Amino acid sequence: MQTDPHILRAFDRDLHSVQALVVRMGALVEEAIGKAAQALHGRDDALANSVRREDAAIDALEEQINADCARLIALRQPNAGDLRTVLSVMKVASNLERCGDYAKNLGKRTTVLNQSAPIGGLSASVLRMAGAVQQQLHAALDAYIKRDADLAASVRARDSEIDQIYSALFREILTHMLEDPRTITGCMHLHFIAKNIERVGDHATGIAEQVIYLVTGALPADQRPKGDTTAFETGA
Amino acid sequence: MNDMRIVERDVNTQKAKITARGVQVHYGTTHALKDVNVDILANTVTAFIGPSGCGKSTFLRCLNRMNDTVASARVSGEILIDGENIYDKRVDPVQLRAKVGMVFQKPNPFPKSIYDNVAYGPKIHGMTRNKAELDEIVEKALRKAALWNEAKDRLNSPGTGLSGGQQQRLCIARAIATAPEVLLMDEPCSALDPIATAQVEELIDELRASFSVVIVTHSMQQAARVSQRTAFFHLGNLVEYGETGTIFTNPSDPRTESYISGRIG
Repeated sequence: MQTDPHILRAFDRDLHSVQALVVRMGALVEEAIGKAAQALHGRDDALANSVRREDAAIDALEEQINADCARLIALRQPNAGDLRTVLSVMKVASNLERCGDYAKNLGKRTTVLNQSAPIGGLSASVLRMAGAVQQQLHAALDAYIKRDADLAASVRARDSEIDQIYSALFREILTHMLEDPRTITGCMHLHFIAKNIERVGDHATGIAEQVIYLVTGALPADQRPKGDTTAFETGA
Repeated sequence: MNDMRIVERDVNTQKAKITARGVQVHYGTTHALKDVNVDILANTVTAFIGPSGCGKSTFLRCLNRMNDTVASARVSGEILIDGENIYDKRVDPVQLRAKVGMVFQKPNPFPKSIYDNVAYGPKIHGMTRNKAELDEIVEKALRKAALWNEAKDRLNSPGTGLSGGQQQRLCIARAIATAPEVLLMDEPCSALDPIATAQVEELIDELRASFSVVIVTHSMQQAARVSQRTAFFHLGNLVEYGETGTIFTNPSDPRTESYISGRIG
């Protein structure tokens, strides 16, 4: 796609500023996921509560991005690569907003989990999974900033690794519940946490797909590899 | 996915109305058009876009041999309409222009009544036997051009007394009165206000049912709004020709993208 400057420089400024907002939003979301996982692992109520509070800033950024994009479409009538930029900005922002919500949910559940004893090594597994997801999100945003479709394709291919970690964690959580029914409440929370982190991975993939659309003009046609087998789990 | 495209945009014909092969135009020593090859479809609005001096109007004027009137112009290559070479010696340019109508940038009604503006073409081409038939043709053309309601009570007043938008619709009525098969429009809305522009655009969309419409426009948004096919010209070359939606969302040539997105290129 074209990267030459526009004849009307204000158009470039508009496009840059809305993309800068997405980059800022991405940084906040990455940080929120990291802090939420740390709070869970460190049983840190204060940190968990700060993640919950800070989600408002992420939501506000999404609103601003939507408003700016609406203005940009109305006033600049973008075409071709510019149009794809605006469309992808809106989708990426909506992906990031969901990720922010998941981080906030992690914070909430952490404060509940902190009221009872830790369950085995589950929080360490969650922390590892969160680390992997954070890397994916970082790489997807990096691909977005650099307009790098190859990097985006590799992010997309790696999502199955997250799915596999999630599947393993799912079985680990099941085992704990079977062994000691008193852990069921905590395990349920941990399972939602694990599922939410897995969903963040899916959103990172969604962002990567937007990068591919932005650069090539078409979404990838092939089914992406899936590693989450828990939908077929029977418990046997 | 293709079956989910917006139906209105569908072009349900692949039938070429106009076929250009290796068309070159020189004005004196200037090489204005370089080897243009294109198939313009029947019942389709085709937009020609490109910067000033890119050759789009030159090519448009080749399609009804308007360049014959320019002394320094030399046209080579082939242009076929319904398979017939319009540059063949046996083709009468006057007859050709009855078949290929044209509307210009500035409304240019004859200094005659509204009625006579529209009736002129059918009269000189001997399309009618009596006044009643001529009246019918005039009314039909004015209705098609969405001017009938405004003009029916003043058919004998001068065409030049109409507003700019009405004058342009009068010129369109005049162009379609001879029942052309192709309608060429060179910036038909550049002198019109947004409402008159919308009326002309609506008219173009309706005309598509009976004609091939080729429109030259500097307004990218207009090309996007009215056409199903877009051709981008640059420095005398036809750079890219394709489905309008594709040209405006994902053009394949970087020169097209630079132009439609307003870049320095």
